Amino acid sequence: MFRAALTIAKKDIYSELRTKQVLGTMIIFAGLVILVLSFAFDPANNTTKAVIPGAVWIIIVFSGILGLNRSLVSEQRNDTMHGLLVAPMEASSIYLGKFMANFSMILIVEIVAVPFLFLLFDFKVNGSILYFILVLFVGSFGFIAIGTFLAALASNSKSSEMLLPLLLFPMTSPVLIGVTQATKIILTNMEKLPSAIAWLQLVAAYDVIFFVLCFLLIEYVLEV
Amino acid sequence: MSMNLEREKASFEVADWAPIKISLLTKILYGGMVVTMLAAFYFIFLYAEIEKTMGAVQKIFYMHVPSAWVAFLAFFVTFVFSILFLIKRKRIYDTYAYVSAEIGVVFTIIVLTTGPIWAKSSWNTWWAWEPRLTTTLILFFLFVAYLMVRQMDGVWDKKARLAAVFGIIGFADVPIVFFAIRWWQSKFHPIVFGDGPSQQGGGIAPSMLVALLVTITAFTFLYAYLLHKGVSFENMKLKVDQYKEKLRERLEN
Amino acid sequence: MEFMYGAYSVVWLVIFGYMLLIGKRHSSLKKDIEFLKQLDK
Repeated sequence: MFRAALTIAKKDIYSELRTKQVLGTMIIFAGLVILVLSFAFDPANNTTKAVIPGAVWIIIVFSGILGLNRSLVSEQRNDTMHGLLVAPMEASSIYLGKFMANFSMILIVEIVAVPFLFLLFDFKVNGSILYFILVLFVGSFGFIAIGTFLAALASNSKSSEMLLPLLLFPMTSPVLIGVTQATKIILTNMEKLPSAIAWLQLVAAYDVIFFVLCFLLIEYVLEV
Repeated sequence: MSMNLEREKASFEVADWAPIKISLLTKILYGGMVVTMLAAFYFIFLYAEIEKTMGAVQKIFYMHVPSAWVAFLAFFVTFVFSILFLIKRKRIYDTYAYVSAEIGVVFTIIVLTTGPIWAKSSWNTWWAWEPRLTTTLILFFLFVAYLMVRQMDGVWDKKARLAAVFGIIGFADVPIVFFAIRWWQSKFHPIVFGDGPSQQGGGIAPSMLVALLVTITAFTFLYAYLLHKGVSFENMKLKVDQYKEKLRERLEN
Repeated sequence: MEFMYGAYSVVWLVIFGYMLLIGKRHSSLKKDIEFLKQLDK
């Protein structure tokens, strides 16, 4: 099952590297979000520093939703979904493969966009970079896990671009709350580290619960 | 479009789509609702004592809490019927899940409108990002999204399947949302056996408790009545649709 | 006090609004049925 998933992930990433369509769009979009944020919050103002930890997640969420949408809609549009379903593997390995592809894509976007944000807003990190990376990892994991699942669900609709955010945002609200709180503590105020770790544990628990749940339920979503 | 309809046509009798008879169950539910509702008004306005610090405004409590209870009950019913549907694949379970979710959204709207009115009068702010309020808001968005999934195009069993999956995931999300937000911020709602009139130190006068319980019963009857009504309506609509299809076929030939 | 009246009126407005919606659906369905009956003759 894992090998099949790996094959699907590889296929997705290869075709993405060929066209660079989605990844390019995601990164440009992230840059545009940063631009809009600089209009909304004056970068010269010192109080703006307080919103940067939240801005990290605004970028990830909005550019993530673009990629999630594409990953399953393109299968539907090219009618390759049936091919995947007919192939001798379980629905859960399709999910796992899609998840891995999306997850690696969002990681690339984060690697590019987050330093860019810090640079443009002249943000000095007072906390630990290592913990910050851990938070990014755990948060994106949860967001993409549930996001891939809901993208598969929404791709059955003709207007999936509109449906997906409506489904995804309320569903991921615990992740977003936990992860923004943890990011804020880690980037600005390292004394409160234990509470950041408590938030991380909450998000990790969410990740585990929903990853398992999605795994069990995906076969109902991807039924022909 | 006609694919789903054709599948069921075998078991369908043309003759029995006549308007539904008013069944005994409807009568019982309707009667129960009216009686308990009247009793609830008596208990709220005449029996229950007036709260000391807030005065008559506290009576919003008797609408706010039962609505919240009915909303949660309705979403729980949706959750249960979603699971049942995925196991048994019978259309009736799907109908129950749908109607219940719709009623749940209606009652969540009530909670979300009475809540701020009460908050304005007693906390002097329309909205507070407080665990129960925020959880209810997120719950509202989740089940509006559930209703959106139902509006999708396609054959009914696909829609029903996807909606059932979303109903399960959405309901599983609720406790996590609640804990996350409670951790995030907790200032207002004092805890009185779980729900509260803002009396510091908690507790509730016996006469208020009686009034509350009566109102909860009344609202539960209202829910059951609406659910029954909605489900029988959906069934009727289904029959009409099938009949339409049959008629169209006959006209074409 | 006016807050209480406001809240109660909102509650019943919402409930009756929903019932009205149900009623509207019923009547449109009834119209459908009548139409079909006509067509069937």
